[in-house]
Amino acid sequence: MNIVLSKILDWSEVWALLIPLISLLKHKNQPEYLKPVKIYVFGSFFIFLFADIIMEFKKLWHFPYWLRTNNYLYNTHAIVQLFLFIWFFNLLNQPFLKKAKRIIPILACVFIGVNFIFFENFFERMRLSSLMLAVAAGILLFYCLQYYLYLLMDEQIRVMRKEAGFWVVTGLSIYVVINFFIFLFYEALIINNWNFAVDVWNVHNLTFIIYCIFLAIAFYDRRDNRH
Amino acid sequence: MIGGIIGTDIKFLVIVGILVMLLLMVSFLVILVVHQRKKLRFQTDMQDLREQQKNQLIEAAVKSEEGERHRIAEQLHDEVGAILSSTRLHFSNIKDDSLDSGDKQLYEKSKLLLNDAIQQVRSISHNLHSTLLKEFGLNEAIRNFADKTVKSDLVTVEVNLDETYLIQNQQMDIGIYRIFQELLNNILKHAKANYIRITSECIEDLYYLRIIYNGIGLSQEQFEELRYKREGLGLKNIMNRIILLKGSILYERSDMNNSILLKIPLVKES
Repeated sequence: MNIVLSKILDWSEVWALLIPLISLLKHKNQPEYLKPVKIYVFGSFFIFLFADIIMEFKKLWHFPYWLRTNNYLYNTHAIVQLFLFIWFFNLLNQPFLKKAKRIIPILACVFIGVNFIFFENFFERMRLSSLMLAVAAGILLFYCLQYYLYLLMDEQIRVMRKEAGFWVVTGLSIYVVINFFIFLFYEALIINNWNFAVDVWNVHNLTFIIYCIFLAIAFYDRRDNRH
Repeated sequence: MIGGIIGTDIKFLVIVGILVMLLLMVSFLVILVVHQRKKLRFQTDMQDLREQQKNQLIEAAVKSEEGERHRIAEQLHDEVGAILSSTRLHFSNIKDDSLDSGDKQLYEKSKLLLNDAIQQVRSISHNLHSTLLKEFGLNEAIRNFADKTVKSDLVTVEVNLDETYLIQNQQMDIGIYRIFQELLNNILKHAKANYIRITSECIEDLYYLRIIYNGIGLSQEQFEELRYKREGLGLKNIMNRIILLKGSILYERSDMNNSILLKIPLVKES
């Protein structure tokens, strides 16, 4: 039973993405500002499918040496997610913290470049880039918080449950809020407390499922096109 | 960075970190939802206030219109009517024996016209004053108005009213009666109808007045369009009174028969 559950959770990054994908296929007519989220759902599905195939079959199928790790796919996912969601937040056109929102993508590019040129190896085989994943989650958390702050200050009255943007941001918030510390300490946990690291990764997988459900609701909930 | 905290309990740090972040996010969401609800409540209150103000304005306009009708009706009845009656009295004192046949014919014609004028003044005054409504109730007033207004052999009028309906609220009755007057006048003026059927029914706490007529009908869309036009004063008055009575009106147009259904919630006078 535990093995089955563990397998389901291990593969959750793939099957959970099918939920928003099905919702997206059922409701093809989505507003323009959801375009980055659409691309993200398709893109991350293939990234995680590839990552989980590597994880599951690397020994069985005798993959070449360089293909026996999926860590770089997690780095790729973090970068893709970061920039697609920055694009999404820009498309929401919220006139709030404009300067910060202009500078952050540039700083993110500089950080990624510097980190992977001087400090870490993008194709590291043994461990995930905790710093990269945590920084990406931190930046996205900032974007989510500024979205809520803008809604608090905005005079316009909204029925939030009818707004696709709200569901996307709430799903993303849940994911980054819980995973920020998981990503930040994951490297250290792997070294010092392997069992807890495995449990914590299951928490990550659960939040990913919730995140995907929220994205599916955002694609489904098309009664109101406002942000 | 991570190497520096190896000695500390990372497990504890991760759990506390997650909990703190979760708390932060939940607080944000709660504040946001509470704030949005407050804004929504404020907007609803403002809307209610505006609605209330609008209704007060309509009520004042309707009351002043009603007052003006009464004043005109009283003046017509007491002053113009009295003058005309006195004229008829003087007129009847003229000895027609002394008149030649030409003058006699003129005298008879004038007497007839004078009687007609007295009748018309009385009729207009009664319509404006709604005395009948106050004394005999809505059903009698509707019946009387239909009989008086449609005095033609070309138009057949059938009136079938709910006799269980008793005066509930005089203001409401006046409102329904005025709406009915306006509707019937409109049908006679524009529909070219030769058949009109008026029915009323009380079901639970609702009063239904239905007018079925043939000829040129009006659809709900046309009614909505016309009532915003400057010349649609009668329709505006109808709508104002309906708003005041918290009722609704439904126009239906068809090739066979057109209908107007007035639905008013019954409110007993406190």
